[in-house]
Amino acid sequence: MSEHAPATHATHASGHDPAHATSLGVDSRKMGVWAFIGSETLFFAALIATYLIYKPVNARLYPEQLPHEKLGIQFTGVLAAILLASSVTMVLALAASRRGDWRTFRRYHLATVGLGLCFLSGQAYEFTNLVLNEGLTLGSSLLGMTFFLLTGFHGTHVAIGVTWLLSVFFKVRRYPNGSENVLDIELGGLYWHFVDLVWVAVFTLIYLLP
Amino acid sequence: MTTTEVAHDASTRRYWMIGGILAVITIVEVIVSLPGIIYSPAQPDPTAQLILVLLLLALSVAKGSMVVMFFMHLRGDARVFQLLFIAPFLLAVSMILVFLTLFSGHVGIAG
Repeated sequence: MSEHAPATHATHASGHDPAHATSLGVDSRKMGVWAFIGSETLFFAALIATYLIYKPVNARLYPEQLPHEKLGIQFTGVLAAILLASSVTMVLALAASRRGDWRTFRRYHLATVGLGLCFLSGQAYEFTNLVLNEGLTLGSSLLGMTFFLLTGFHGTHVAIGVTWLLSVFFKVRRYPNGSENVLDIELGGLYWHFVDLVWVAVFTLIYLLP
Repeated sequence: MTTTEVAHDASTRRYWMIGGILAVITIVEVIVSLPGIIYSPAQPDPTAQLILVLLLLALSVAKGSMVVMFFMHLRGDARVFQLLFIAPFLLAVSMILVFLTLFSGHVGIAG
């Protein structure tokens, strides 16, 4: 792979590719990802709303089991920082791909994947601690159900994002001269940033709010 | 340095700067949430609680906006993408507020 081959931008983001153009002049694939992000926004809003509605009841019935009481906001704050850092590396990877700097792209893209895996590890540690030490599970109580549904679904989205990013990485490596590599990276990045966005909301609403 | 290299350095620097701002906001969020800084559960104060809630929400909105505008490039992108995100987002926020309002007086909803 040429380390500094100029990226081909002809087909990305502008809808110039006739196979994926829309009447609005944008690429249909990018439009599809944004529409998907819009629907996922509503999905997570429903889960967040459910948690918040039952939060007073859970605080009254299970005050000692509230996650931020057990693990402390410092730990989840570190997880939030990890995910934000992964957003930074993702956008840097995209910027590198746009200017054809594929070595830098690989570095930042793999850093994004690594940080995502770190986040998942932290989530796994948190869940394990809650299940084994606190007896808080999906079916143990209303708190367990609302908490694990929300954070579990988010963790699943992160895992899917890691898989997506890895598949983009290997695709770009397999077809280094592909004309749509930049678009593929951009679309994966959009999903990844959204996953980070959800955690910004979850972290504040679930762990920080009194 | 060529014009392209200057532009690359500028955008890279901007992304790192935004990342730094996001990190600082996160640290501030964690600090203000610590008991006793603004609000203490041991000595509940509705005014302090309200201040903390509003502050955390404002900081989260700031973080989210920066991620959406600069990392997802929504700020300079086509209007249709902005619509595809902002409309569901507003609907989601409205839904949360409506449900919280509807059920706020029914703490015993779960029995």
